[in-house]
Amino acid sequence: MNRREFIYGVNGGLGALAFHSMLRAEETKGPLVPKVAHFPQAKAKRCIFLYMAGGPSHIDTFDPKPKLKELHLKKFQRQSKFLSAMGSGERYYVQSPFGFRKAGQSGIDLCEHWEHLADVADELCVYRGCQAESINHPTANYHMNTGNRFGGDPAIGSWVTYGLGSENQDLPGFVVLPEVAYPQGGAANWSNGYLPPHYQGTTLRAKGSPILDLHPPKGVTRGQQRSNLDLLAQLNQSHAAKRPGHKELSARMDSYELAYRMQMKVPGILDLGQEKETTREAYGLNEDRTKEFGRRLLLSRRLLERGVRFVQAYTAGWDSHDYLAKSHSERIRSVDRPIAALLKDLKERGMLEDTLVVWCGEFGRTPDNGRRGGGERLGRDHNKNAMPIFLAGGGVKKGHIIGATDEIGETATEVVHPIRDFHITLLRLLGLDDNKLTYFHGGRFKQLSQTGGELIKELIA
Amino acid sequence: MTNKYLMSLVFAWFSVCISFSAEEVPSDVLFARKIQPLFKVKCLTCHGDNPEKLKGDLDMRARAGLLKGGESEEPALIPGKAMASPLYLAVTRAHEADWSAMPPKENDKLSAEQIGYIKEWITAGAPWPDAKRVAVILKEADPWGETDGVMVKTSGGLDAGWTNRKYDPQKLWAYQPVSKPAVPAKGHPIDAFINARLPKGLAVAKRAGAVALIRRVTYNLTGLPPTPKETFEFVAAWEKDSKTAWMALIDRLLASPHYGEQMARHWLDVVRYADSAGFSNDYPRPHAWRYRDYVVRAFNTDKPYDQFVREQIAGDEMKPDDADHVIATGFLRMGPWEHTAMSVAAVTRQQYLDDVVNSVGVTFLANELRCAKCHDHKFDPIPTKDFYRMQAVFGSLSFQDRKLPWQKNENLTGIKTDRERYLRLQKTKAIRSITTLPEDDRPVQVFDRESEKIGHGKVNRKRQQQLNYQLKRSNPLAFSVANGANDRIHILKGGSIESPQAAVSPGVLSLFAGSEKAASVTMEKSGRRTELAQWIASKNNPLTARVIVNRVWQWHFGQAIAGNPNNFGGTGKQPTHPELLDWLAATFMEEGWSFKKLHRIILTSAAYQRAVAHPTPENMAELDPNKTSYAVFTPRRLTAEELRDAMLAVSGELNRALGGIPAHPEINEEVAMQPRHIMGSVGPAYQADPKPAQRNRRTLYAERIRTLADPMLEVFNKPGPDVSCERRETATIAPQAFTLMNSPINHARALAFAARLEKEKPNNLNLQIVRAFQLTFQRQPSPAEMKFCRDHIAKSLAHHQVTVPMKVESPKYVIRQMVEEMTGLDFWWVEDLDIYSGNEYEPDLKPWDAKPHARALAELCLVLFNSNEFVYIY
Repeated sequence: MNRREFIYGVNGGLGALAFHSMLRAEETKGPLVPKVAHFPQAKAKRCIFLYMAGGPSHIDTFDPKPKLKELHLKKFQRQSKFLSAMGSGERYYVQSPFGFRKAGQSGIDLCEHWEHLADVADELCVYRGCQAESINHPTANYHMNTGNRFGGDPAIGSWVTYGLGSENQDLPGFVVLPEVAYPQGGAANWSNGYLPPHYQGTTLRAKGSPILDLHPPKGVTRGQQRSNLDLLAQLNQSHAAKRPGHKELSARMDSYELAYRMQMKVPGILDLGQEKETTREAYGLNEDRTKEFGRRLLLSRRLLERGVRFVQAYTAGWDSHDYLAKSHSERIRSVDRPIAALLKDLKERGMLEDTLVVWCGEFGRTPDNGRRGGGERLGRDHNKNAMPIFLAGGGVKKGHIIGATDEIGETATEVVHPIRDFHITLLRLLGLDDNKLTYFHGGRFKQLSQTGGELIKELIA
Repeated sequence: MTNKYLMSLVFAWFSVCISFSAEEVPSDVLFARKIQPLFKVKCLTCHGDNPEKLKGDLDMRARAGLLKGGESEEPALIPGKAMASPLYLAVTRAHEADWSAMPPKENDKLSAEQIGYIKEWITAGAPWPDAKRVAVILKEADPWGETDGVMVKTSGGLDAGWTNRKYDPQKLWAYQPVSKPAVPAKGHPIDAFINARLPKGLAVAKRAGAVALIRRVTYNLTGLPPTPKETFEFVAAWEKDSKTAWMALIDRLLASPHYGEQMARHWLDVVRYADSAGFSNDYPRPHAWRYRDYVVRAFNTDKPYDQFVREQIAGDEMKPDDADHVIATGFLRMGPWEHTAMSVAAVTRQQYLDDVVNSVGVTFLANELRCAKCHDHKFDPIPTKDFYRMQAVFGSLSFQDRKLPWQKNENLTGIKTDRERYLRLQKTKAIRSITTLPEDDRPVQVFDRESEKIGHGKVNRKRQQQLNYQLKRSNPLAFSVANGANDRIHILKGGSIESPQAAVSPGVLSLFAGSEKAASVTMEKSGRRTELAQWIASKNNPLTARVIVNRVWQWHFGQAIAGNPNNFGGTGKQPTHPELLDWLAATFMEEGWSFKKLHRIILTSAAYQRAVAHPTPENMAELDPNKTSYAVFTPRRLTAEELRDAMLAVSGELNRALGGIPAHPEINEEVAMQPRHIMGSVGPAYQADPKPAQRNRRTLYAERIRTLADPMLEVFNKPGPDVSCERRETATIAPQAFTLMNSPINHARALAFAARLEKEKPNNLNLQIVRAFQLTFQRQPSPAEMKFCRDHIAKSLAHHQVTVPMKVESPKYVIRQMVEEMTGLDFWWVEDLDIYSGNEYEPDLKPWDAKPHARALAELCLVLFNSNEFVYIY
């Protein structure tokens, strides 16, 4: 037993009840109780998923395309029976406005705006082979998050929590840190789908009450609330005494006590003032550009430390159809420092080796654009055939670039895999076998990949 | 199409004499009958169907591929030597150290029998006859005869192996004709069927008491609690003559207009009702409500189910001049759908066609037809061809928002004011710069003006777009369909629009008629849907009546007879009481497909009226662990909508009007004010309606925006509207406690409840408490409870007398922020909230407007709303 497991053991003992208390007496341990992985030797025990909503450009982040310099602003037309309004008409190649360099000993290609990430380049495993299937934001978001383009299915965080349980029974196993504005497709991106609701992503909101109605309305005192809960318990007890066979009653009673405890605990977890000033500084909390995402990442680390199994942190604004130079440089700089700080921080705490870090969006961007503002508003459209991804941490190859795209970045050409294979690989890194992680619903065993698929072995150390 | 083929719903049962025992079967016959079909279903998806992408480089399409082997560079097959053949070792799943278990999914593993066939075939030298010889073998007598299942004739699969495959007859239960079984004993037929399957030695619970029953059935049929007066009168009548009282109660409730609302709620779960289109823009569907109200009316007028089916699938073809026939076709457009500049038109059209076929299959036939989109159905006798033939039925369908005058039976309240509001908003500049705020109120002092300029432009444009949609609501249009240009429908290889194969002609599922020809419908542009609808809404379709009576049974008992109401295929749960299901289906059809008659039959059974407590619970646990015997009635938690409606009914605030344009209840304020991302911008903030009577409508009428769920409903397991919901989840989770105990909205309900008690029983605490218990629990408090409650109120009063509630105003504007994608920088804006800042707005009773006693009493009311006795029905 390592130190952390010991601490969680104590925490778990304090709260024998699950955060989402399951109501069958025979399962008093709760649905979130830690479970043994299918591959117990897997290094990663938890995951932080950094989601860049809008579709970040691979060409301007991790996948330089010098060929586009030659082609810059050359005109062409796509030929296909299946063109969208946006894909048709006159197109122009667009070079990356950014310079690139090779960072770290491993020589990871990073654009010039990845200033801090360069320090941890040797931790990264950049993957260039993934392909999405949808070209619209919400369907692509659903696909990346749930494996189903049309939504309604469980999110990957729900699957992982279903498969592994959680190390802290007083907190949700799957936490989502969205921006104030939710990504396209909304909360269905972290839905439990057909899995039991205990595995739903719980949002800790960026503004206002972190969990909806965590606290009573203003003016209600703790004493009054406690007194209401006591009367409720009295009424419920005399009710339950007459109905010994109805087991759901006690669980519902427990859920009120658990909610009350959470009300006391959660604010402390969210209090980033408890962190050292140097840490806050490192995550970029003192800078306008980085403070929002930095706050989410620092909070993520606090949650992971307390045993939360899966954290997903969002940041949006990557949909650069225009003004690519300005908008992508801003976006990159808003996440660069926090991400580098997170990786270093996890490493210093000995957590990087058993935490899986994932960075991606819902798709990549095209090497070309329609005619926009006479060469000033250059941007890129949606591209489902290539996208930027990097992984780091538990069980992942360090300092590698896996897969490749063609010379202009239009489509992946090496180690090409669909999102379902990426999902299978993430599950495997966390010790889960997609083919065994199934749930019987509507008369069928369902799984994250929908139909099964292939492991991307190249990503695994 | 005539109905004649429907009369011959005959399976091609193989009845060939077994001429030799299976051991003597020649190995090439074994291959043709067993091995090749097995490879097809279990192996070729990864090892052959896509020759460019063979898993592990192993090609199983031909013997040579197996002999060559895959990336292990060892042969997968050594003829004559099963124990040395990786093919055999892999399927045994017992040699994982050398050969990973195949097929990889545990749930797909081969049966012992199948593994035996592979061993036998390899041992016999693994012969692989050519396609010609296989075809000859398949025409010859089948040595296994019926012993390993029956064949079902269809329009034919993509290959002969699928066409000739056999099914376990048990898994075909739903496709067999409905015949009315004899009732096994005297008395109520339902009870006779249930008793016949009652585990030996298991007693049944006694009849529930009058109060439990009126509470149970009133919630069940109307979604609302019985009033104290109704309860009192029923108990009195019950004591005189319980049978007559019960019949009279059922009659009264079935005649209540709220009956239709409650049944509509069930139906709308299945058809995925929403008032918006979903995805990026989540455009409003301003006239979807007319379909919602059509469903309420259909139940209230006891529209025969066969007609209900026909109207929803083909109403516009059948009676284009009848309003309800046109409105009903809104069903065909209920799924989420959108087309954007990023989408390829042919692709979104195809998505629609896939969705509508699946939706018809799931809703009326309990078959997920999309399972047959990319390949012949893995488990059920539904070939891919049938999926596309059914799609061809919709090949000429186009969306149409038809002109259709408002009808006398529609509630038009608010349409005019709604229009005025949106016209006003169109002219108002609803968003402004944060610089218009006093400096102290601004979220930031310095920001990028260019981002603001671009951002505000987008927000304004999106806002106008949404307003234009909302404005359409005042035009009398129906969210319906028409027949337009005819798309030629092709089978799509792997479901991909880029690989069209043979064109198909329109048809229905062929498994009943046995051939493509007999299951065809007209080639004419118009009339295809009519024929499909007639085929579904036919007494000879074995699925239709079974599917709906099974749903209705679940609406009454909380569990269905066949446990997957949306899946009657081989993988769905088998019926626990198949004879009962068939008897109900047959009776339902005999009785003219009448829902109300079906309810009466079910509600008069002893099974429905049983108590929840079993006389010997240990016995029950042992003999009926899965609780499928109906020896007791299973309690249930109120659904999300029932919970909200019941609180409003108890607090006296519920506006019981029926139907009309969507209402806007209060929802969690933070969620209401949160920017809702729509296509590169955000939609307008959600504001509740100005008057309490508008807000406090039944939850059925609350606007259902796909990307903006009411968090209170969501947390109490209201399903999302994108996927058909066959049965609601009821698990208890901690956030439910947060919502019910802490939400200001529920605090307002409690305060209104307290005000009602004070008004009805002024200055008498005891009577107030008694009344509170009657309204919430339909009973008097016990002396002990009376004491707890009095003590609690006294304690709370002491607190409230010295505490002045903090006044919280509704926001008049909201400051919002997002990243402008063109610049990558944040921008802010102020959105004025026209309703909350207007003079029309009338808030609910709030603590600062109430006296200490009302506030103290409200603490009790809040606790009652949270209590188990309130949220469970016994």
